[in-house]
Amino acid sequence: MGAINSIEQLEAYRQEIAAGVKADLPTVLVCFGTGCQANGARPVAEAFSDIIEEQGLELNVNIGIKTTGCHGYCENGPLVALQPQGILYLKVRPEDVAEIVEESIKGGRIVERLIYRDKTTSEMIAEYSEIPFYKHQHRIALRHIGNIDPASIDDYILAGGYAALAKALRMKPDDIITEIEDSGLRGRGGGGFPAGTKWRSCVAVQSDARYVLCNGDEGDPGAFMDRSIMEGDPHSVIEGMIIGAIAVDAHRGYIYVRDEYPLAVRNLNSALEAAREKGLLGENILGSGFAFDIRISRGGGAFVCGESSALMRSVGGEVGEPRAKYIRSVERGLYDKPTVLNNVETWTNVPEIIVKGAEWYAGMGTEGSKGTKVFSLVGKVNNTGLVEVPMGISIRELVEDIGGGILNGKRFKAVQTGGPSGGCIPERMADLPIDFDSLTEAGSMMGSGGIIVMDEETCMVDVAKYFINFLVEESCGKCTPCRDGLPRMLDLLTDITEGRGGEEHVAMLEELCDLLTWGALCGLGTSAANPVLSTIKYFRDEYDAHIRDKKCPAGVCKALITYSIDAEACTGCRLCAKNCPQECITGKRKEAHVIDTEKCIKCGVCRDVCTFDAVRIS
Amino acid sequence: MTDETQFDRIIDRYEKTEESLLAILQDFQREFHYVPEEGIRRLSEMMEVPESKIYAMGTFYKALSLTPRGRHTVRVCTGTACHLKGAPQILETLERELKVKRNGTTTDGEFTLECVNCVGACAMAPVTLIDEEYHGQTRSSKIMDIVKKQVGS
Amino acid sequence: MEKVSVIIDGRAFEAVKDQCVLEVAHENGVYIPSLCYNSEVASSGGSCRVCLVEAHQGGRMRLVTACNYPVRKGLEVKTDTPLVHRIRRGVLELLMARVPDSEVIREMAAAEGLSEVRFRLDEGEDDRFNCIACALCTNVCADVVGVYAIAMVNRGAEKKPATPYYKASDVCIGCGACAYACPTGAIAMEEEDGVRRIWGRDFNMVKCGVCGTPYIPEAQVDWIVKTTGKDRSFFDKCPDHR
Repeated sequence: MGAINSIEQLEAYRQEIAAGVKADLPTVLVCFGTGCQANGARPVAEAFSDIIEEQGLELNVNIGIKTTGCHGYCENGPLVALQPQGILYLKVRPEDVAEIVEESIKGGRIVERLIYRDKTTSEMIAEYSEIPFYKHQHRIALRHIGNIDPASIDDYILAGGYAALAKALRMKPDDIITEIEDSGLRGRGGGGFPAGTKWRSCVAVQSDARYVLCNGDEGDPGAFMDRSIMEGDPHSVIEGMIIGAIAVDAHRGYIYVRDEYPLAVRNLNSALEAAREKGLLGENILGSGFAFDIRISRGGGAFVCGESSALMRSVGGEVGEPRAKYIRSVERGLYDKPTVLNNVETWTNVPEIIVKGAEWYAGMGTEGSKGTKVFSLVGKVNNTGLVEVPMGISIRELVEDIGGGILNGKRFKAVQTGGPSGGCIPERMADLPIDFDSLTEAGSMMGSGGIIVMDEETCMVDVAKYFINFLVEESCGKCTPCRDGLPRMLDLLTDITEGRGGEEHVAMLEELCDLLTWGALCGLGTSAANPVLSTIKYFRDEYDAHIRDKKCPAGVCKALITYSIDAEACTGCRLCAKNCPQECITGKRKEAHVIDTEKCIKCGVCRDVCTFDAVRIS
Repeated sequence: MTDETQFDRIIDRYEKTEESLLAILQDFQREFHYVPEEGIRRLSEMMEVPESKIYAMGTFYKALSLTPRGRHTVRVCTGTACHLKGAPQILETLERELKVKRNGTTTDGEFTLECVNCVGACAMAPVTLIDEEYHGQTRSSKIMDIVKKQVGS
Repeated sequence: MEKVSVIIDGRAFEAVKDQCVLEVAHENGVYIPSLCYNSEVASSGGSCRVCLVEAHQGGRMRLVTACNYPVRKGLEVKTDTPLVHRIRRGVLELLMARVPDSEVIREMAAAEGLSEVRFRLDEGEDDRFNCIACALCTNVCADVVGVYAIAMVNRGAEKKPATPYYKASDVCIGCGACAYACPTGAIAMEEEDGVRRIWGRDFNMVKCGVCGTPYIPEAQVDWIVKTTGKDRSFFDKCPDHR
């Protein structure tokens, strides 16, 4: 079928697709996110295709086997879900496929060795929705991910896609903005600026052209919800942007995607193509006369391009340097025209709000932060992945109930939120509700929703140094405080982690933090103090240990630690000696081994290979 | 060596506006494994954009390299989750075993070693990419085996 | 032109709406130091941060660069507060660490009571000598001259002005505007025997038909003739003898 020329035709088309789907027939969903593909999802999907063809199974004729976007539980990939039963199989190998087809699809039984087993309770759970990782979630932004094939616009339409667009085309632009304002939706990219207010300010400026932009330059290390959405549900982003364009009367949009996300670029491109073919983008959207199209702009590997003014310059084909935002981008943005810039997750929420209404959305979350938020729960936690929950959930619930607690039974020390602009929040504050305002008050920020869990083996001075080093490499170099202040901060932190720090180092760090916060040009610089100040504030004892005792309590900072072998635990298996690149471990077979600390380069290989946990750091 | 038609073939795929510059440079990078000087000059002529501007882009964006890269690229993800789970050890091992510093290319032109700030596969940390292939939950003691297995040397 | 009233350090001045604070201050005899800004160069400013001042507007205060902060109704500016001096001192200390030999920076720092640098001094490369990476040179070259011979290359601490591949530029006209504009005198420009050397390229100078002084590069004359259509004979004499 070619272009859809009216709202009525869209509904008819949706019914046509639905009629071709036999709902009770089994569908195999193979996750094709970056994570599962890396774990070998492709051969699994091929094995299913082969066996289905071979046996001529009558699966769902219209859909059959689907490759979907990222479920967010990548650690256990490749993931395979079976519909309509709702069974989730983990770590599926091609050799498991025949058994799944035989047992589950034909026989209706569960293949027990492939289902979820709780690490603490050992309970076995087959149903997707009952696994603790998913059970507490409330998926709005991630609503389609894992259920639809991102390459199929029909799948999206069947799931209710573009109904919000149809509704928006019948609304007054002003009413669309009011709906977004009333929903309380705040930008999910970092700052948390109310989306409706932004749209309204953009419309208020007289101009012959306006733009809507999508920030897909998800740069905060540890956050990957936008990747998952762009890869797994690209049409929801596109639909959100079309609605935004109707609201602010824009006719051109751009999606700025990180260069590090090749699959997202591919899936967005094919989704745009499909939407154009169906008349959902282009000169005459659904026969309404409204014209709008979207281009993809690939980033070039520069964190600073996540900053709005730098992003706009990069879209325009320049070096991504920020400019002073004394005049806001809603007034003077891309090509100096009024511009609405929201991030991927924000745009994805828009169609749901239009369909279900502002009241529904505002009914979730907290007073100041409405709706749900996607977090990427990663680091030293048992269940890692993407989690969407209502705003206001506590850090502890997130880490313990959904994340299943700390890896290897270690002690929970802190979480880091907000990427290089955020900070570290200690375990003792873990009952803090997660919303825009509480995190900022605690000296961190929401950022794009990365929650990095840290345990007793994480050194907080090293974490501060890690982020400052990150920013040194990513500073564009335009303004003095950021360009020259960050390297000086790195010098000071390096001194501390290498045992050369004095009391004055902390004072000078605080001074430089003050300078960056007040004096830097853009958000990268003005928020760069957070990782340092929050660790000084909450983990001063660790700074003191490095400075006064020349010790790294977490055993991370190489200059302050030594490796040794616990003679009691060592079985003399020789594995460490064989792997030591310095050949500085000696000992006879079945006798305790010894490390020559003079020659040791503290590479950690011995500790990594030891199966008896006999290598100690002190 | 490269001649102008090779560049033109890429440039012609795009609209003649400054918006296309970064995408074209990335295509150069993909095709030639770096952005050649002649390519920048040709792009400047064809697009009527000053060479200095395009050269500046080449030096600013990390995805672009102005010097030839190795036949294989090993990229260690140094995102926060990977950092906590051992990326520094993996990077060190690769530097030691491949005898090359980060962002450098081995003398035989076989490998370029790079760091990348989060590839968004944090749930599989620590992640190493060899060419376009992702390897999750890598360990310093195993990384060289993985490299050798994939590139078959 | 819409006029607005602005208060600077307690005194009210009239200014053109969207005019920058720095200009209004200077027109009215209020001193604010600056390095990277030149009123003739539209894209200049915002980079060195020595002109940071307090802007009070709509019930909130923030530090803004006077060189590009637009004057609008209800703005009150304070240039002489403890915060302004504290941050300016910090910026100057970083600049001193970067270019320890720069007289201009040292004098500006001395005015803020700063003579010692506590940070490690920058070992920078030779060609970064005295350069504070403020981009005024590249902005002049692009916006005023229009030849785009140089651009800011690299990022972070390595940012600096350069010709493509650091080679003698074939578009440079040797006009020297970059060197004249540089606030710290960091761009080398030498003249000997009627030849000017800048950015690694030699330019033959046109001699004045009256006094015989070499005064303008031939390449610059070519450029002016080409872009403005001015008669070549105009350049037979130097400005003093026209």
